[in-house]
Amino acid sequence: MVENRRQAAAVVLRTASRALALVVALGTVFLGGCKGGASITVDTTVPRPLVDPIPAAMGVYIDETLKTYVHEEELPEYGDYRIDIGASQTPVFARVFDAMFEDVVYVQRAEDPADSRSDQTVAPDADDEEGEDEPDTPIRFIGNDGSSLAVDGIIAPSIEVVQFAIPDQTGGDFYEVWIRYKLTLFDAGGNALGEWPLRGYGKANERNFGQLGKQTPALHEATTWALRDAAAVLAVQFRDQAEVQDWLATIGAGENDEGAPQ
Amino acid sequence: MTAPRVGFALGPVLCVVAGLACSGCVQTTVQGVRQAETQIDHGESIVILSRKHKTQGETEDDFVTCVSDSVNTGSRALPILSESEFVDAMFPWFEPRTAPLNMDDLATVIGRPIISRRIDEIGVRYLVWIEGTTERSDESGSLNCTFFSGGIPACFGFLSWESGSNYEASVWDVERGMSVGTLSSEAAGTSFVPAVIVPIPVIARVREKACANMSDQIKTFINPDLPSVSPAAS
Repeated sequence: MVENRRQAAAVVLRTASRALALVVALGTVFLGGCKGGASITVDTTVPRPLVDPIPAAMGVYIDETLKTYVHEEELPEYGDYRIDIGASQTPVFARVFDAMFEDVVYVQRAEDPADSRSDQTVAPDADDEEGEDEPDTPIRFIGNDGSSLAVDGIIAPSIEVVQFAIPDQTGGDFYEVWIRYKLTLFDAGGNALGEWPLRGYGKANERNFGQLGKQTPALHEATTWALRDAAAVLAVQFRDQAEVQDWLATIGAGENDEGAPQ
Repeated sequence: MTAPRVGFALGPVLCVVAGLACSGCVQTTVQGVRQAETQIDHGESIVILSRKHKTQGETEDDFVTCVSDSVNTGSRALPILSESEFVDAMFPWFEPRTAPLNMDDLATVIGRPIISRRIDEIGVRYLVWIEGTTERSDESGSLNCTFFSGGIPACFGFLSWESGSNYEASVWDVERGMSVGTLSSEAAGTSFVPAVIVPIPVIARVREKACANMSDQIKTFINPDLPSVSPAAS
């Protein structure tokens, strides 16, 4: 009898410990899921835009800051988030600009001996106060092979702000990402003709993802859509910008309405 | 002593659970308004698209996929171009922020020679814009699970909830640049999970019913000359 009781007690103890282990394991999974956070790297491109190319030779300047752009943010209660979109910038803009212009040349800034910080890691109009280029000072661009340029203009995109939101914050269904670019247009001599914002917005419906581990793929999808949206708006609305229309008139490329439906 | 009996009983119970899990009752309603005659010729296809410009109430991807797959298979199947293939081919004119919202916008977009040429290349004749969602509401009850001695799990309680699907489709004829009709598919049902040791889910599959009905409607609407089949209902 005593032996039987000991065996029964051992069985109960084993069962209880297994149950406890299961509860702990499940708790770890769910509580870990609550804390969340995500780290994504978006390396994508977009389809070639279906637009009539502008009859112009355009220089495109994509600096190192843009090529290596990473947004990092800690959301209190929701964890640490890291969105690496640097690898997508060159493929996305290349695909768009290659379709938008008859001829595209990728350019870099020429080294300026008088300015030690004039290298490729600095955007032409970066927002930092110190050492910002004088607005009227032309920037000397050269071809990536060091050759002098024969272009009608130069365009330089840069990222001003990246923001995102998760459903837990907004109470909605969507992971959302906003990217605000700044586009700066230069004439062939490197004189800034104007700049304007380009906003990309992407969202991913959390209902399209499973309950566990959805943050990373959902945020990735929202970011991909934000990049795609920026590319779409750039392709559709580029000619609508006043600065662009003036520039087109200057180079004799004329008007050709490509406006999107309102 | 009791553990083997419970284990023995689990087999048949699980069979019953599997059988019941797909038998929730669903009430469905379908409606359609035709504004113009339709037909689809050889080499033409249709695209099922969801609206993505709103910040709430976006149609679930799997519903659009379900409708596309269902229209593309079975009796009276119609040729389908997938949503992703279409929007990629038409980039950037059918993106969330640039897609035409009405026939005037569509006329403006397809009036561009470069776009009309692409539409001819891919052979798209009809765009079917789907809007709507499936929502879950009126959840009540509770379910508690625990372990018996011997490590056997057991649940007790009762859960129930209402589900409602409400989808509408607008059919645009790209060739004629006009809206040819609207279709709607609604489905509602109550799901419940009674549990006495083993939970028995009785799920009302409203979205699947709404998908089946919408797909049948689209097939019949686009190609009315073919014999029709009454909408799925249960």
